[in-house]
Amino acid sequence: MRIRTALAGVCILVLSSIGFAAPAHAAESIGSCVVDVSMQVEELREQGLSDYEIENELESQAEACVEAPNPVLPDPVELIWITIAFSVLLVLGLKFAFPAVSKAMEDRSERIRSDLEAAEKAKEDAQAEQARYKESLADAKGEANRIIEEARLAAEALRAERTTAADAEAADIRAKANADAESIKAQALADLREEVTAIALGAAERVVGNIDTAAQRRLIDDYIDQVGSQN
Amino acid sequence: MADERVAVAYADALYTVTRVEGNVERVEDELFRIARALESSDELRSALAQQQTPAARRQQIVEDLLGSAADPTTVAIISLLVGVGRSAELPAIIDAFVERAARESGRLVATVRAAVALTDEQQNRLAAALSAQLGHDVTVKVIVDPSVLGGVVTQIGDTVIDGSIRHRLNQLREAI
Repeated sequence: MRIRTALAGVCILVLSSIGFAAPAHAAESIGSCVVDVSMQVEELREQGLSDYEIENELESQAEACVEAPNPVLPDPVELIWITIAFSVLLVLGLKFAFPAVSKAMEDRSERIRSDLEAAEKAKEDAQAEQARYKESLADAKGEANRIIEEARLAAEALRAERTTAADAEAADIRAKANADAESIKAQALADLREEVTAIALGAAERVVGNIDTAAQRRLIDDYIDQVGSQN
Repeated sequence: MADERVAVAYADALYTVTRVEGNVERVEDELFRIARALESSDELRSALAQQQTPAARRQQIVEDLLGSAADPTTVAIISLLVGVGRSAELPAIIDAFVERAARESGRLVATVRAAVALTDEQQNRLAAALSAQLGHDVTVKVIVDPSVLGGVVTQIGDTVIDGSIRHRLNQLREAI
């Protein structure tokens, strides 16, 4: 807003200077100059000049009229007006426009500086954030590696434990199977022995059961003799 | 223990009665045989112990079985015990009776089991051998028991002299 106000003031001052300078250029023309010169004849006569002198004077003034103005050097009057206008404009500019422009420039510089500082700070923040990110990434990688290592160790321990348990179980099963086999074998032997014994004793009983009375008497006599011999 | 005391009490009372009658030896021998017969016959033991059967009926069975073959004192004793419901304790009472009789006469009773009956000569020889071994007169009571298979098993009190084939077979079974 201030910049706009300052620019408007400058435009007004330039247009005003152009307006003031315009009458200076409109004061002179060849026609009016010649008329002015011709009207000076009487004045020159009254001054007592001779016709020849008057003619020379008029001729010189007329030549001055037709003489072209200097394209580089302004008209002195115009130059004065321009100087005055410029001075006014300079004063006004220094008074109003320059502080506003200067302040706007300072503000802009300050804003740019603050923007640059903000950008620098943002860059530093970004770099710090990046560093933190890298650090956290490194930590995460380290943590991940640690977790993986722990998981590997745990898996290894579990595998070893299960292997040991499986070996122990297999050993128990083998031992039990061996014990069962031994037990079955012993039982089979015992059954066989018992059966053989039963068969043998059954045969013996059948033989004994068929002994005649005379043999029975002899057995009784032997018994009595045995009892009698123990006296 | 209570049954044993009851058996001893009955045996003492019956022995006293029998001694008064003066035929202790015969009654003792008959009672011994009846006791062994009861032990070997479940049917007879069940018939005499049947509580549903009236006592008079059971006593009639005893008299029918023994009849005139046994001494009247023996029949009276068995009939009395069956009548008072002591059929189950009959063998124990009779054994106590036999022990009491042997004790009164200064003898020991040897229960001899054999697959066949011993001859009188064998019984005398065995009684003499046992008497010489034990230092007491011994009366031999023979029980024919086929389960002995052969030989003899003698029991005197708590002493057992087993010379049976059954015992030898059992020893053989244990050895095998």
